[in-house]
Amino acid sequence: MKYILQTASREIERLFKGKIYWFCIVIAPLFSVFFFISLMHEGLPTNLPVALVDLDNTSSSRNLARQLDAFEGSEIIAQYPDFEEARQSMQRGEIYGIFLIPNNFEQYAGSNKQPKLSFYTNNAYLIAGSLLFRDMKTVSTLSSGAVILQKGRAKGYTDAQIMAQVQPITIDARPIGNPWLNYSVYLNNIILPGILALLIMCVTVYSIGIEIKEKTTDTWLQAGNNSIMQAITGKLLPQTILFFIVGLIIYSVLYIFMQFPIHNVLPMIMALFLLILASQALGIFMIGCLPILRLGLSFSCIWGMIAFSISGFSFPANAMYSSVRILSNLFPLRHYFLIYIDQALNGRELIYSWSQYIYLLSFLILPFLVFQHLKWSLKFTSYKP
Amino acid sequence: MQLRKIIKKGFADLFIIWSREIKYVYKDIGVVIFFIVVPLIYPIIYGFIYNPETIREVSLVVVEESHSSIAREFIRKINASPDVNVYVYAANMDEAKKIVDRKEAYGILQIPSEFSRKLHRGEQSEVILYLDMSGLLFYKAILLATTEASLQMGKEINVNAEDMPIQYEAISMYNTQNGFASFLVPGILMLVIQQTLLLGVGMLAATSREKNRGKLIPPGSTHEGASRIVFGKALAYFTIYIFVCIWALAVVPRIFNLIQIARPGNLLLFALPYLSACIFLTMAISTFVRGRETPMMIFVFTSLPLLFLSGISWPASAIPDFWRYFSYLFPSTFGIQGFVKLNSMGATLHNVAWEYRMLWLQAGIYFLVTSAIYMYNVHRDKGR
Repeated sequence: MKYILQTASREIERLFKGKIYWFCIVIAPLFSVFFFISLMHEGLPTNLPVALVDLDNTSSSRNLARQLDAFEGSEIIAQYPDFEEARQSMQRGEIYGIFLIPNNFEQYAGSNKQPKLSFYTNNAYLIAGSLLFRDMKTVSTLSSGAVILQKGRAKGYTDAQIMAQVQPITIDARPIGNPWLNYSVYLNNIILPGILALLIMCVTVYSIGIEIKEKTTDTWLQAGNNSIMQAITGKLLPQTILFFIVGLIIYSVLYIFMQFPIHNVLPMIMALFLLILASQALGIFMIGCLPILRLGLSFSCIWGMIAFSISGFSFPANAMYSSVRILSNLFPLRHYFLIYIDQALNGRELIYSWSQYIYLLSFLILPFLVFQHLKWSLKFTSYKP
Repeated sequence: MQLRKIIKKGFADLFIIWSREIKYVYKDIGVVIFFIVVPLIYPIIYGFIYNPETIREVSLVVVEESHSSIAREFIRKINASPDVNVYVYAANMDEAKKIVDRKEAYGILQIPSEFSRKLHRGEQSEVILYLDMSGLLFYKAILLATTEASLQMGKEINVNAEDMPIQYEAISMYNTQNGFASFLVPGILMLVIQQTLLLGVGMLAATSREKNRGKLIPPGSTHEGASRIVFGKALAYFTIYIFVCIWALAVVPRIFNLIQIARPGNLLLFALPYLSACIFLTMAISTFVRGRETPMMIFVFTSLPLLFLSGISWPASAIPDFWRYFSYLFPSTFGIQGFVKLNSMGATLHNVAWEYRMLWLQAGIYFLVTSAIYMYNVHRDKGR
């Protein structure tokens, strides 16, 4: 214990002196929080630009366009006389959708000839495209409903009778946990811990590798009484504490300031803590396998970046090839994401997540596999640029 | 005569610096990783992760309380959709919730006991759909399949019911199957070019500093002019990255059958200012880097904010002004937008004139900044 503390106090001094540590432990995570929260402060993108092609140009068609414009998600920013011009505008990226009202719209709608509206969405921008699709579809359904109600009432039916005719089965959709379909909730709950995990791996690898590079491994090992266990523990303990504090700051922004859904607070704090430990353990493993600073760092950078895709929070792991899905278990962020779904988003019982906690814990075995090799490297490797 | 000599030596030096820089790249395993290995394998990894494009057969639990043939027909229709798989019938909501809790399914369809009775009485009948929000794609798949089935059922129940008086057709353009790889991978490909340059060039500059006791410019008469250094180095990176660009922008999309409707000539013409802007930006930044490992610590995490600033996932029109102007600093913003338009949307160079001009502008500005920094350093070194 004495030696661990001795190494820890040596490390604290190093952390305070190194600008790079300040950057990676404090500035980068807090910048990311500020960036992503302010970027997505709307939750759902609003006023996505749409072009209108109104070939009918009657009061009904103009009314329909006004309805779409009134939706929070869409904004008609231009009107073109024909589809071709609108399409070019889409190709220039000025609009994400085209709302085309056909010729004779008003006349056909009034005389049972079923005019057909066309929505074109640019799905090279998947989020914008699918949000616009939803708005345009709603407008057309609403306007259909209005026409039907008008006719039905004229024949003396009640609204309930009319609706039962048109749409016998209705669906009451209840999205659980994130009823607003808020993208900030959906993305930032994982992106921000993911950035933290990436930086933890880098800092762990760097703080060990730099000792080899600067030939200070002797004093480090001495401080740890020549025991690699104590030297590593003492070195990483202050970092663990600092990252945990930064993690809690991120949590307080997400769950107190932004009030994102969180059901079970303690299990989530536990998950954060284990994510930090698992990332540190992976970092030790990386520099232990590749005790050359730049190689170890490259390893951790690549691992940390792939984690964002493979953890499956945007593109689900179920949809990935099974080989990729199996590999995803090697990324702590994947397990953190699964715990998040259970404990924060859905408030499930702990029993559904325990295996994910075990996975995270099992990353702590990794350092023991490389301790001997690492110690040997600390003693005998010299830095080659 | 004198001027001619200077020019001659300048060019000779430029080519010495160029070939030396290329040699530095190949001799340094750290730089090789970022200039060659990462651009080579990263696109493959991402292509592989996202290649299934869409999710199929999302599991749904059904709680069928009406015990009617009409409800069974409705469920059969939902199951027929390629997007949804009715995983199991649960006896009650508690059991269904447990199945979702175990992540064996991502939604619960509750068909209430009065479902068929209401339909027979000619009333509107409601079903309840609980949706797990752990993935928006699950949500979308289940909601769309169920809605589609309910509309079909509606037509069958009321054969003489009127159709919707206003019909619609939805056409999704450019990424017709709403695929994830087709949407995200082009952006990643472009970003990888800028980010690996940032890491590699930063590493090279810092290595040279470490070798020359903290000085940016090595001693020797080859380095007596700033422009020959800047051009020599830039040319070296250009030489290597032409191949990276061909790989990432033309070969990888073909391997994964991503949409690629751009003319190869246009892509090349667009890559020119993008690469120039990236190279001069990274050269300017690299002059501030001290330790050869610091670029990895500082720049890697920026890939995420930069991807979001490009407007490919979070729509550009929804990016707050402050961040939009901030995004104009980086070639990736215009590079990704332009590439997606050319490559996925079949735009002409004329259509991406804004991005094209901004990239040249960036290339020009960052070239001047880089040159100024090198000039300053050359003069300072001469003074000593």
